[in-house]
Amino acid sequence: MTNFYALLTGIAMGFLIQRVRASSPAMILQNLRLENLIIIKFMATTIAVGMIATYTLNLFVPELMHFDIKPTYLVGVLLGGLIFGVGFGLGGYCPGTCVVAIGEGRRDAWFALGGGVAGALVFTLVYKSVIQPIVELMDYGKITVQSALDIPAIVPALVIGILLLVVVKVLPTQIKQA
Amino acid sequence: MTTASIKSPAGVPNWLSLGIVFGLVGAASILLWGPIGVSGTYPRVIGEIARALAPVYASENPYLVKMGSIFRGETFLVIGLLIGGMLGARKDVAKAPKVENPHAGVETNAKRYTEAFLAGFLLLFGARLAGGCTSGLIISGMTQLSLAGFVFAAGVFATGIGTAKLMQAMRLGGN
Repeated sequence: MTNFYALLTGIAMGFLIQRVRASSPAMILQNLRLENLIIIKFMATTIAVGMIATYTLNLFVPELMHFDIKPTYLVGVLLGGLIFGVGFGLGGYCPGTCVVAIGEGRRDAWFALGGGVAGALVFTLVYKSVIQPIVELMDYGKITVQSALDIPAIVPALVIGILLLVVVKVLPTQIKQA
Repeated sequence: MTTASIKSPAGVPNWLSLGIVFGLVGAASILLWGPIGVSGTYPRVIGEIARALAPVYASENPYLVKMGSIFRGETFLVIGLLIGGMLGARKDVAKAPKVENPHAGVETNAKRYTEAFLAGFLLLFGARLAGGCTSGLIISGMTQLSLAGFVFAAGVFATGIGTAKLMQAMRLGGN
C-alpha cells in the first residue's frame, strides 16, 4: 500500500504545486525578488497547517505515525542550503517542481532535471572523499524542537504553527507590480 | 495565467486554500506512509544505473549503498508529481510557456537552458549535502519540527533572495 499512497500523495502535491504556479520559474523569481509573496505564504501555510495537523493526529494515533526526522549536521545542512539557494534563485525550480513543470509541458524544466541528475552523480562520486568529512561536523543527530526543549511536541507545533499563520496574515501578498 | 492571485467565491485567496490542502496532504502522508521528499530519488536512479553498468563500483560506493533501491514510496511520489502537473495544467485556459525567462531583460533559449542545467546541478548537489530539498527538509522537516528543516530553509532563502536580486541587477545592467 505504501507505493499506492505515495503515488496518490505525489499526484495531489503535483496538482497543488501547478495550481499555485510554484512550477513557474517566473513566479518563483518574483517571490525571491520579494515582489510578491504568494509562494512564500503558500509554503508557510502548508507548514503551519501540516505541523498542527500532524501533531494533533499524533495525540490520538501515535502508533500509526510514520515520522522520519532528518539529522541536523549543522555545517552540511547549512552549506547545502546555501548552495541550493543559488540554484533556486538562478533557475526558479526545485528538484520536485521541475518534475511538475515537465508534466505541464515546460521544456527548460528538462534541463533543470538533467542538471539535477548530473549534480547527484558528481555528489555520489565525491561522497567518500569530500562529503563524508563535512557531514560528520557538528552532527546533533535527529534533533527536533520538542526533543531539544524536552516538551510535548504539540506545544511547539501549536506555538510555531500559529506564529507562522499570524506572519502570513500580516505580510502583504503583493509588494510591487513587476 | 494569474489563477493564483484570483480569489475564490468565498473570498479566500487561492494560495491560502491550496496551502491548507497541501498541509493536510502532508499530514495524511505522514499518517499513511511517510513524510514527502523528492531529491533522494535522483541518486537512487543513479544507483540503479550503476548497479546495472558497474555492479562492483555500486556495491562499494557508500552513498549508493546508503540510498538503496529505487523501489520505494518516494519514487512513486515523484511519478505522481508528473501526473499531478499534467492534471493541473488541463485546468488552465492558456498552456504553460515552453520556455520562461524568470529574470529581468531578455534571454535566448540556449542561455535559459544552460542556466536551468546549472541551477539543477546546484539544487541537487546542495540538497544531497543537506539531506533533503524543499519537500523533504523545508516542508516535511519543518512540519515535523526538525531543526535541520529550519537551518536549511534559512540557508536557501538567504542565497535564493541574494541570487535573484543579483541576477536582476546584472540583467538590467545591460549584460
